[in-house]
Amino acid sequence: MNTGALILLAIAPGTALLTGFLTVVLLVWAFWPKNGLIAVLNRARMNSQRVLLEDALKFLYDCEYKREACGLHSIAGNLHVSSDTATKLLDRLRTMGLISLDEQNFHLTDTGRSYALRIIRVHRIWERYLADETGIGQMEWHGEADRREHMMSPEAADALAAQMGNPVFDPHGDPIPTAEGQMPDHKGQPLSTLQEGSIARIIHIEDEPHTIYEQLAALGLYPGMQVYVLDVTDGTITFAADGEECVLTAMFASAITVEPFEGNAPVTARHPTLASLEPGEEAEVVGISPNCRGQQRRRLMDMGIVPGTRVKAEFRSASGDPVGYRILGTTIGIRRKQAEQVFIKKLETTAHEQSA
Amino acid sequence: MEKKTQNNHEDILSLANKLRWDQGGAFHDTVIESIYAEAARIARKTVQQTGTPNAYNLDLRIDRILTSRWLGFPIMFLMLALVFWITVSGANYPSGLLAGLLIDTLHPILKNGATSIGMPWWLSGVLVDGAYLSMAWVIAVMLPPMAIFFPLFTLLEDLGYLPRVAFNMDNLFRKAGAHGKQALTMSMGFGCNAAGVIAARVIDSPRERLIAIITNNFSLCNGRWPTQILIATIFIGGAAPAYLAGVVSAGAVVGIAVLGIFLSLVVSWGLSKSVLRGEASAFSLELPPYRPPQILQTLYTSLIDRTIFVLWRAIVFALPAGIVIWLVANVRIGDLSLAEHFIHWVDPVAMFFGLNGVIFLAYIIAIPANEIVIPTVLMLTVLSTGMAGVGSGTGVMFELDSIAGTENILRSGGWTLLTGVNLMLFSLLHNPCSTTIYTIYKETNSLKWTLVSTILPIVMGLIICFFTTQLWRIVVG
Repeated sequence: MNTGALILLAIAPGTALLTGFLTVVLLVWAFWPKNGLIAVLNRARMNSQRVLLEDALKFLYDCEYKREACGLHSIAGNLHVSSDTATKLLDRLRTMGLISLDEQNFHLTDTGRSYALRIIRVHRIWERYLADETGIGQMEWHGEADRREHMMSPEAADALAAQMGNPVFDPHGDPIPTAEGQMPDHKGQPLSTLQEGSIARIIHIEDEPHTIYEQLAALGLYPGMQVYVLDVTDGTITFAADGEECVLTAMFASAITVEPFEGNAPVTARHPTLASLEPGEEAEVVGISPNCRGQQRRRLMDMGIVPGTRVKAEFRSASGDPVGYRILGTTIGIRRKQAEQVFIKKLETTAHEQSA
Repeated sequence: MEKKTQNNHEDILSLANKLRWDQGGAFHDTVIESIYAEAARIARKTVQQTGTPNAYNLDLRIDRILTSRWLGFPIMFLMLALVFWITVSGANYPSGLLAGLLIDTLHPILKNGATSIGMPWWLSGVLVDGAYLSMAWVIAVMLPPMAIFFPLFTLLEDLGYLPRVAFNMDNLFRKAGAHGKQALTMSMGFGCNAAGVIAARVIDSPRERLIAIITNNFSLCNGRWPTQILIATIFIGGAAPAYLAGVVSAGAVVGIAVLGIFLSLVVSWGLSKSVLRGEASAFSLELPPYRPPQILQTLYTSLIDRTIFVLWRAIVFALPAGIVIWLVANVRIGDLSLAEHFIHWVDPVAMFFGLNGVIFLAYIIAIPANEIVIPTVLMLTVLSTGMAGVGSGTGVMFELDSIAGTENILRSGGWTLLTGVNLMLFSLLHNPCSTTIYTIYKETNSLKWTLVSTILPIVMGLIICFFTTQLWRIVVG
C-alpha cells in the first residue's frame, strides 16, 4: 500500500470539498485569459524599459506627423508616467542619439525616426491582421497591437504583411509605413472643420484615447463611410454617415479625419440589409459593409454577393436564425449577423415581373 | 548597370506604394468587386438556364417541411434515433459471430499451436494473449457497429439531409460560439470520435473547426455505450426496485449521453470565449439540392474511407497495447506483478476520486480502444484480488456472458454504487482513445491542441468524480 497517500482517505468530506473547490478556483484564476495569473505575469515581464522607450519614440513621431509641438508634459501624459520618469527616459533617448531638444520641444533624429517607423509599421500591420484574419473585436485591436509591436522582429512583420498582400492602411485608416520607412504626407482634415453642406469620406478614426474611440465605434462609424454635413452649430456637428444621422461634439468630431470630395450628395437614405428580407422576397445586392472584413468578406464575395447579384430569401431554419437564400442557383444558409452586413435594394416580387 | 536596375526597381515599388496610399483603403475591394460583378454580368448575358425549375420547386417544398418550426426538430430526432437503433440492434449478431470466431475459437487454436511448436510460455503470452487477443477484441467489437453506422450516416449525407440538420441546429451552436455543422460531427462522434474528428473537415472556418475537434470526445462513442449499459445495469439498475431496474438504468445511460452533449456545448462556449477568442471565423452553409444516393459508392467510400481507415488505426495501436497489458500483469518484481504494484500504490489516490487503482490502470493501458476497458478491468480485478477459477489466465483479457458473474467480480474488487456512478462519469470524461488522439494530431497538426483535447476531459472528469464522491460521502455517509 502507498501509505503516504492513505492520509487522503482520512480527510473529512467537508474539508476535501472545500480544498477541492479552492483548487478549482485557483486553477481557473491561473489560466483565466487576460486577467489570470499567467496572463498578468506574462504582461509584467513585457513591461520593460525598452517598451517605454519605444512608446516614447512612437508618440514623438505621431506629433511630428501631425505637425504638433511635443513637450515633456504631453509625453509624460501619453505614457502614463511621472514627469521625473519621463525626463530620465528622454535623457536616455538623447544619449542614444535618437532625439534632440530645441527650446522646449523634442524632435526625432533621422535614426530615431526610422526606429519609430519600424515600431509603427509592426503596430499597424498587427492591427490589420487582427481586423482581417481573426475574430478579435475592434475594441481590442489597438491594445493587442500595442503589446505585439515590441515583440515582433521587422522580418517577421514583413512576412506577415506579405501574407496579407502588403496592405497600405491599418483598419483605422492610418497608412502603414513601408519597410524602407516611407510614409505618405498627412492627408485630410478633422471632421470638426467641415462646413454645412460639404461632402467627404472618412479616411481615419483616431484610436486613442480609448474612451472616445469606443463611442465612435459604437455609433458604427468606420473608414470608408461617406459623410454629408447637415448642420454645424456652436460646438456640435450634425451629419449623415452612409444615410444614418449622427450628432457629435467638436471634441469627438476632431478624432475623425475626413477627405472632402466634389460630386453629388451621397445617398441620404440608408440601404436596408439582407437580414430584413422576409422569406419569399427578392432583392438586388448593393454592397457589403466596409465593416465586414477579411475572411468573412471574401466568403460572402465567393458566394456571389457582389453589387448587382439577385438574392431571394427562401426559408428560415427551424430555430429561426440562419435563413436560406437563393443566390446564383444555389441555396446558402447565412446567419443574421452576416446578413446585416449586406446592403440590398428590394425588388418587387417576381410574380409582378412574370405577368409583365 | 546592375545598380541602375536595382534603383529602377525600388522606384517602381515606392511609386506603387504612393499610388496605393492615394487610392485609399477600399481600392482593393473595389477591384475585386468589379471583377466579380463583371463576371456575373457576362454570365447573365451568355449562360442560358435550361434546367427544370420543377426540380428546384420540389426541393424547396421538401426544405420547407424539413426546416419548419414544428416539424424540423421532431423529424431530426426520429431520423437519428432510427440510425442508432439500427446500428445497435444490427451490430449485436455480427459482433457475437466475430467474437466467437476470433476470441473463442481462433485464440485457443493459436495458443495450442504456439505450445506445440515449442514456443516458450512468455513468448506465446506476449504474442497470442497480448497482441493477438487485444487486436481480435478491437475488431470484434468495433467493426460491426462502424460498418453499419457509417454507411447509414453517409447515406443521409448523400441525400442532402445532413446539411439541413446543421441548418436547423445552427442557432444553438451559434450561441455556443460554434458552427451548425458541429451537430453533424457530434452525431458522427456517437459512432466514433476519430471519425467525428475527421468529419470536422466539413467546417471551413478554422476556429469553429477546432472547437468541433476538441469537443468531439464529449460524444459518447460506440466503444463506450456497452460499458455504460453494463455498469448501469449492475449498479444503478441493481439499486432500484426490480420492476424499475430497466427503466432506471436506461435513463442513467441516456442521462450520461445528454450530459455529454451539454458539456460539449458548455466547453465550446468556454473555448470560444477564452483561448479560441481570436481565431478567425467565417460562416456559411451550403444547402445542396436533394438527390438520390449512389448506394454502391456510398458503401464503398464509407467502408474504405471511414470504417477501414479507423479500424486500421485502432489495430495499429491495439497490438502494442495488448503486449503492454500482458506484460504489466506478468512481469513480477518481488512477489507482485507490475500491475499489482501500481494498483496498490495508486489505490488511495484513486479512491479519493471515488474510483480505484484498477480503473486508473485500465484507462491507462487500454488507451487504444474504449472497447477493451471492461475486459482489462475484469482481468486486473481478478489479478489484484487473487480470485481463483475466474478468467482465462494472468494478463488475458476476458468478458463474462452473465451479468451476475461480472457483478460478482466487480463487487469483490470493492466496487460500490458510487464506484459505478463514477466509472460512468469517468468513461464519458477521460482522454480520447489513442486512435482519436492521433487523428486529432493529424487533423490539427498542432501538439498544443492535441494536448488540450487530451488533457481537458481528464481534468474535467477528475473534478466531477471528486465532487460527486465527496458530496456522496456527506449525503449518504
